[in-house]
Amino acid sequence: MLQLHFTPEWFNGWGFSLDTIGLVIALLIAAFSWRIYNMHKENRYAYFALAFVCIAVGFGFKLLTNGIYYFEPIRDVAAGVLKPVAGPRLAFADLFYRAGFFLEMAPWLGGLLLLFFISQKPRERLHKYYELTQIGLFVYLILLISVVSNFTFFVFYLTSTVLLSLIVLNYYKNYLNNGNSNTLRVMWAFMLMLCAHVLFVFVFLWSGLYFFGEVLLLAGFLVLLLTYTRVVAFRGVKRVA
Amino acid sequence: MAARRSRLELVFDILLSIQNKGGKIKPTHLMYKSNLSHKLLNSYLEELIEKGLVNVEEEFVKKRDGPLKTVVITEKGLGFLAEFRRMREFTDAFGL
Repeated sequence: MLQLHFTPEWFNGWGFSLDTIGLVIALLIAAFSWRIYNMHKENRYAYFALAFVCIAVGFGFKLLTNGIYYFEPIRDVAAGVLKPVAGPRLAFADLFYRAGFFLEMAPWLGGLLLLFFISQKPRERLHKYYELTQIGLFVYLILLISVVSNFTFFVFYLTSTVLLSLIVLNYYKNYLNNGNSNTLRVMWAFMLMLCAHVLFVFVFLWSGLYFFGEVLLLAGFLVLLLTYTRVVAFRGVKRVA
Repeated sequence: MAARRSRLELVFDILLSIQNKGGKIKPTHLMYKSNLSHKLLNSYLEELIEKGLVNVEEEFVKKRDGPLKTVVITEKGLGFLAEFRRMREFTDAFGL
């Protein structure tokens, strides 16, 4: 059977739980941002919600593909569904996994690209037509990278590493501007995700790196969750004289 | 030059001025505290009363021709303030 990632065998299935947590956290943040968009009607909140929905969709497809790949009962069900289409030898199974990997990568990269744009200043750029054409070009490149990385998977992780580095840099600049401890937490969350993706790039050297990468990715999302809970529980009174 | 306040920020400033005065404020004080013109404040107050975020209480005082008006923040208004603070904290934290 086709193998897309070089993952340690003992870890197969554990990653499933870790990714589920990431998916839930991404959806929580997206939902809160969407709620603010409904209140404020400012596009940046909608874009931010969309970015995290994209990441959640990426996780969703990863879970689906891995679920079919690692869990025999699900694999049997999928095989049962695919058999009439693919024939008795299930020749299109590889194609299915590649499609799953593509559907995981494209939304992830799209989400990270949106986060990069949103975390940059000035924010008005998203309203301008020429910036939208630039986004269009980037979206095309992301789709291209997603297709190419189906053959050499680290191209995806390399691209996401570059995007995450730029996001971390933007959040660091943001922290220098506002000195908010929550901004610093968000920066650290993306820093952990960046470290995770750097490890994923080198998974072909030693499959154990995949485990450490997944743990770091989860840690990044947990820091995001911590920031989210601190924001939701925020009761501080900022008095204006 | 400071950026123009959005509609929601103006509402927040009005409600915050009332809260900072212990939940009750005279309209003239509110006008100065929220840095709005009389006309603009009235239009905002009408909207806030309609949405149940504030109430206007009238008190009859001796040696005064008309009633003494006080703007009072409601529970819903306090809830809006809390929600707005969370929203602002989210905006700052996630660099929006």
